[in-house]
Amino acid sequence: MKLALFVLRRLGQTLFTMLAASFLLFALTEFQPGTVASKILGPYAVETQVALLSEKLGLDDPLLTRYARWLGTLAGVIENPLSDPALGLGLSDPRGTQYVGNFGFSLMQKEPVADVIADRLGNTVLLTVWAIGLTIPLSLLLGTLAGMRPGSLADRAISTTTVILTSLPEFVTAVVLLLIFTAWLGWLPGTSPLDPGDRWSLGAQLVMPVTVLVIASSAYVTRIVRASVADTIGKDHVRTATLKGLSPARVIWSHVLRNAMIAPVTVILLQINWILTGVVVVEAIFAYPGIGSLMLRAALFGDIFTVQALTLLALAVAIVTQFLGDLLYAALDPRIRAGT
Amino acid sequence: MPKPNSHPKVDEIDAAFRAGRMDRRAFLRTATLLGTSAAAAYAMVGLPMPARAQGAMPHGGTLRVETTVYDVSSPPTASTTAHPIIYSNVVEHLTRVGTDNVTRPHLLESWEPSDDLRSWTLRVRPGVTWHSGRTFTADDVIWNLTRLVSDEVGSSTLGLMKGYLLTEYESDELDDDGNPRRAHRLWREDAIEKLDDMTVRLNLKEAQLAVPEHLNHYPAVMLDPDDGGVFGVEANGTGPFTLAEIDPGRRAVLVANPDYWGEGPYLDRVELVDVGGNDQAIMNALISGQVHGAFQVQPELAPILANQEHLQLHEATTADTAITRMNVTHKPFDDPRVRKAFRLALDAEKAVAVAFGPYAAPAEHHHVAPIHPEYADLPPMTRDVEAARALLAEAGYPDGVDVELTIQQNPPHHLRSATAMQEMWRDAGIRAEINVVPNPQYWDVWTTAPLGTTVWAHRPLGVINLSLAYRSGVPWNESAYANPDFDALLTQAEALPDPDERREVMAQIQALLQEDGPIIQTYWRKLLTFYDKRVKGFEMHPTYAVAFNEMGLDEG
Repeated sequence: MKLALFVLRRLGQTLFTMLAASFLLFALTEFQPGTVASKILGPYAVETQVALLSEKLGLDDPLLTRYARWLGTLAGVIENPLSDPALGLGLSDPRGTQYVGNFGFSLMQKEPVADVIADRLGNTVLLTVWAIGLTIPLSLLLGTLAGMRPGSLADRAISTTTVILTSLPEFVTAVVLLLIFTAWLGWLPGTSPLDPGDRWSLGAQLVMPVTVLVIASSAYVTRIVRASVADTIGKDHVRTATLKGLSPARVIWSHVLRNAMIAPVTVILLQINWILTGVVVVEAIFAYPGIGSLMLRAALFGDIFTVQALTLLALAVAIVTQFLGDLLYAALDPRIRAGT
Repeated sequence: MPKPNSHPKVDEIDAAFRAGRMDRRAFLRTATLLGTSAAAAYAMVGLPMPARAQGAMPHGGTLRVETTVYDVSSPPTASTTAHPIIYSNVVEHLTRVGTDNVTRPHLLESWEPSDDLRSWTLRVRPGVTWHSGRTFTADDVIWNLTRLVSDEVGSSTLGLMKGYLLTEYESDELDDDGNPRRAHRLWREDAIEKLDDMTVRLNLKEAQLAVPEHLNHYPAVMLDPDDGGVFGVEANGTGPFTLAEIDPGRRAVLVANPDYWGEGPYLDRVELVDVGGNDQAIMNALISGQVHGAFQVQPELAPILANQEHLQLHEATTADTAITRMNVTHKPFDDPRVRKAFRLALDAEKAVAVAFGPYAAPAEHHHVAPIHPEYADLPPMTRDVEAARALLAEAGYPDGVDVELTIQQNPPHHLRSATAMQEMWRDAGIRAEINVVPNPQYWDVWTTAPLGTTVWAHRPLGVINLSLAYRSGVPWNESAYANPDFDALLTQAEALPDPDERREVMAQIQALLQEDGPIIQTYWRKLLTFYDKRVKGFEMHPTYAVAFNEMGLDEG
């Protein structure tokens, strides 16, 4: 019951945060150079065309009116004015002009934003699942190994390596891997466009981007796990458990890990957040068609509807991972549920 | 077949060639523009036609080429030379400029200019059919040409043909300041005239030599009128391929049209792959064989790729360049003395050496290249820092000027080139801050920024670039330069078929641009790319045009 209340309260807060953020976001995109109408019509549009389109889209209305219209379109309450065939823009949406999640059209690709993002989102989720799926066991294992006996040879080896790896930016790791595995050995493809006609399998194309992300994430997470384990291992209750005669494995599993997990859980959730919405460098170097590279392109192009949708998505991911984090803390530490 | 000597000017230039006043290259280009077939023109200069080994061309296979996959739903408004790689093998041009810089009829069978070059008879090639089975006719040509020069479409073809096909008038609509808007219409109703089902005549306001070359301007492709000007998957065309799939930013797929009227296609399929435009990614994709070739490769990466055994370097000497243009509606560039000072403060040879090494040649601030037939060799414009300072002082800037130079982020040589200029300008009291912007963002400001560097593609004649970029009021006039003297000289040059005669006018134009013009230009670029050695029939074209129907893939 207490847990249900806790979840409900958090959900309410989440919705409110989203709404407030979406207004800020909408207002901010107003500061983009160039008008929406001139962006839609391209660089060679005649002024009369631009004026006509601005009028039809109501671009001269007050900010609040336009925000309400945007929100209404997104919620599927009103029609998207851009789909009007009378505008002659050739923009059409197979879902119709009115549906929930209608972000409008990508000006860059002349397609519904929902389609542009859906395709990329799938690719990014694939990347995230592999990267996080490998990062969690790897860093738990290494972090625990190092943290169990602080100062041991294993600890020093692991700690030194992870310090070096966390200080290496991803583009350095990526270029080193490319030099070795593509240019020198020829074992792996140099880019990962996930193109069905490619001579390299999709699996082979995933290896390098996933490896770079795993190196970047797990080095960091390992250090957090190590610190947390090393801290917990010196606590009284662990010493008691060891003195009771429990096997070291049992002590680590039941008494150390559970207590040592709160900090790492936060970090792992942040990593998920980052890989889902912010892997711009890795995606650009490997030509990986995911959310990060789309965000970069859309922002550079001034594709405002896509940028709005992606920013909202990033926001949603951040809020959802935070929400998950709260639930996990609550599960790990019952004191948190009390709301104090 | 056109008669070899159908145009009286052909005899004139033939005499010039025989007297040694005109070189082979200029003769070939001019004779073919005047309607002589390429084969006949090559015969007249005693050369065999360059022939490609068609018999040896392998059949079948899928070719994969790296390029940016743009949205190309409106080819007439295409704004980069990378757009046509997607559509120009599906919907075609009336003419083709070859890698040898010679223009040949394509969807046309021939053309015949009148003696005064003001009336051009275009004969449509018989036997060309659309993919739908319908015959390609004069009506298709007229519909497309009319549309290409209309205000509503906004194609850059308008600027190219405005001088001889259009007239400007004040429309009924008012702009924000209450002045009537400028609009264009054909200079007379029958400017584009249908003679019969297979013949069109262009009746020009002014004499113009480069009509056949203008018909190969990259946005000027023939769309099916039934498609309403929209291009896309399954769009009807006359070309060797059909567009089977397009996902902008990702990929496009072309599938062979076995009933093509011309040569080939030998390939079954062409896949265009977008790797996000990242130079590193382009190189990686070539090295690991994920693509057989690339749209282009930056010179920085050439040494690494040249070491790869499976790759072949292809290069073309071109009139491809970047122009640092000063928008004359902004201070201090409204004063011609300031503009000249910006040029005088530079040493083009040094700038080239810093930015390009062996992959470029120095330019002379007038946008006419030594490879253009009408290029006039002017006395060199050497660096003179003192004169530059004096001009600035005379213009009211005794303490120098502070300016911001906007450049595109990619390719990286823009920054090297800008830095070289910045350092040299400093000596003359010109303090420039370099503002690097992402490439797409540059196209938002390219016609308005006070000082910016814009990439200009190769075009076969010097007059074409000048007419696109510096004639008063044309859409691509990014510097807002408006000089009636320049316009008049340009119109005069465009009417002279003999490059020697044209050169005399060009000398005046070039000198005028050096003295008064809105541009700073330090280099001409070579274009480079790499293709897998198994790819046959590829030649680097000075405007990046790729004829996939002439290419094959040895899969052995």
